[in-house]
Amino acid sequence: MTTLTTENKETQKQVIEKVYSPNVNVFENKENVTIIVEMPGVDQSSINLNVEKDTLTIDGQFQYDASTFGKSVSQEFVGGKFERKFTLGKLVDAENARAKIKNGILELTLPKVEPKKTKIEIQS
Amino acid sequence: MLFRILDNPGRTNPFWRDFDRFNEEITKSILDSQFGNLRSFPPVNIFSKEEEALVSALLPGMEIENIDISIKDNHLTIHGKKKTEDLAEGTEVHRREIFSGDFTRTIELPFRVNQEKVQAKYTNGVLNILLPRREEDKPKKITINFE
Repeated sequence: MTTLTTENKETQKQVIEKVYSPNVNVFENKENVTIIVEMPGVDQSSINLNVEKDTLTIDGQFQYDASTFGKSVSQEFVGGKFERKFTLGKLVDAENARAKIKNGILELTLPKVEPKKTKIEIQS
Repeated sequence: MLFRILDNPGRTNPFWRDFDRFNEEITKSILDSQFGNLRSFPPVNIFSKEEEALVSALLPGMEIENIDISIKDNHLTIHGKKKTEDLAEGTEVHRREIFSGDFTRTIELPFRVNQEKVQAKYTNGVLNILLPRREEDKPKKITINFE
């Protein structure tokens, strides 16, 4: 018996999530490198800070459900995800990084490390 | 614009992302020098129901006392000053992409608003303003009587 209806009930919802590349400020002083990231609407719990090899990835979910309030008159932004990658130099100690978020601004402080000097003796 | 939109999330290669960013930066600076600043800050969404409207604005990193909201009839004006970070002497600036300074944005609403009852809330850098419609502006139902 052949079924005529080959209706696939699990139609894959192809919701392409908006990925925003947030604006950043990067400062450096004697002790630290500070990265400031604009992440409005992002809850602290959804922020991920990952360091893999020498790449630091910052991402966070911007939950914004627009459909709950009446009809849209004009829309300039939607919810989505913020993501940005940085290449870290060897002089930064990512393991001791500190992060805080306030009013949609993430501040990441990475302490600098003194480069180790290894002297190699030449054997005669 | 507050942030850039990567219209092509398939571009995973960081070179192309950087290229897009660079390209956009150049276009923006040319446009700015020609026509003044076209970017409207902050970006807003406007929603409306029959009796109230909601305006959300993306305003990260503000102090509440530096946000000024005013309403006249059906115009809402958001005005403010976004401070820069206080940097200690000897700090090197590698990148500065985040907007700072004065901004003003006026938004036209679909109806006139009761100024007394406007509510504003600022959470996680998002400003939400709830604007109730003015009583005399509300649509009135007229019942027609048949004789």
